[in-house]
Amino acid sequence: MMNELDLLKKDWNKQTKPFPQLQESDIAAMIHKRSSSIVKWILIISILEVTLWTAISLFFNTDEVMVKNHTEYMIPYFKIITYVNYAVVAAFIYAFYVNYKNISTLRSTKKLMQDILKTRRTVKYYVWYNLIMIGLSAIAGFVLAFVANPQMQKISHNPKAMVITIIILVVFLLAFFGIAALFYYLIYGTLMKRLFRNYNELKKIDL
Amino acid sequence: MNESLETSFVKQLTDHQNIVHKICRLYTNNEEAHNDLFQEITIQLWKAFPKFRGEAKFSTWAYRVALNTAITLYRKSTRTVATVDFEKASYFIKQEDYNPEEEEQLKLMYQAIHQLNDIEKALIFMYLEDKDYSEISETLGISEVNARVKMNRIKGKLKKILNP
Repeated sequence: MMNELDLLKKDWNKQTKPFPQLQESDIAAMIHKRSSSIVKWILIISILEVTLWTAISLFFNTDEVMVKNHTEYMIPYFKIITYVNYAVVAAFIYAFYVNYKNISTLRSTKKLMQDILKTRRTVKYYVWYNLIMIGLSAIAGFVLAFVANPQMQKISHNPKAMVITIIILVVFLLAFFGIAALFYYLIYGTLMKRLFRNYNELKKIDL
Repeated sequence: MNESLETSFVKQLTDHQNIVHKICRLYTNNEEAHNDLFQEITIQLWKAFPKFRGEAKFSTWAYRVALNTAITLYRKSTRTVATVDFEKASYFIKQEDYNPEEEEQLKLMYQAIHQLNDIEKALIFMYLEDKDYSEISETLGISEVNARVKMNRIKGKLKKILNP
C-alpha cells in the first residue's frame, strides 16, 4: 500500500504534461465570467426571501382592517409596532450584510463553512420572525374583530359559524407555515446538501 | 480593479495553473466539469487577489482558495464554458518511462481516490502536495493531531478499496 501511495506521489508531482495549458488570454477571459458559487446563490435567494416576506407583511394593511372593525383607537399602537418592525428589518439586513461580507475563501475550510451557514441562518431567522409576526397579527386581528365588529359578534353567538371561522383561520395559518417549510426544504435540499455533508464530515474529524 | 493588477494576476495564475488543474482532476469526473470548476476557481482567486500581498508564495495562497472553492463554494452548473481541448487519452497518466504494471496500479489508485469524500480528497491532495500537518490542519480548520489520525484512516480506506 505504501508503495502504491509513493508511486502515486511520484506521478502526481510530475504530471504537468497531461494538463492542456491555458494561455494568459484564456485566464483573462475567465475572470470576467460570472460566478455560480453557492455564496452567490445564497445572496440571490436571500434577497428574494427578504423581498417576498417584507412584501407579504406590508400587504397586511392593519389600518384598513381597523377602520372596518371600528377599532381606530388601536391605530397608534399598531403604528408603533410598524416602526419597531422596520427597525427589526433594518437590523436583519445589516446583520446579513456583515455576515455576507465576512465570507472569505482565504479562511480555513471549516470557518468558511461556518460563515456561510451563519449568513443563511440570519435569513432563516428573518423569515421566522415574519411568520411569527404574521401569525400574531392574524390572531390579534381575529380577537379584535370579535370585540369590536358587530358582524363578527353575531358569529360568536353561533357555534357552528364560530367553528368554521376558526378552522378557516387555522388552515390559512398552516398554509403559510407550510409554504415556508417547503421553501426551506427545497433550498436546503438542493443548495446546501453538499455543504452540510462536508461540514459534518469536518466536524466528525475533530470529535 | 486596475489593469496592472489584472495583468499580474493573469500572469501568475497562468504560471501556476497546474495547482488548479490538479484540484479539478480530483473533484470532477469529466472534462466539462473540470473546465467549469477551473473557471469558478479562477473567479474566486481573482476576487481574493486584492488581499494577496505577496507575503506567501502565490501557489501557497492559491491552493487554499482553490480547495475552498472546490469543497464549499462550487455548484455544478449547466452553463457552457469555453472549452479547451483535452487530450482525452492522456486524461490520467502519461509517462515517458512507460511501465504497464505501474500504470495499471496508478489507474487503480486514481479510481480509489475518486471514491473518497470531498474532505478526504482534500487531505490526500495536501499529502500529495507535500504539505505538512500544521498547514493541513490550518487549511481545513481541524486540529493537527486529528488531521494525522484522519490521514491514517484514509490510507486504510484506500487500502480497502484497492484490496477488497
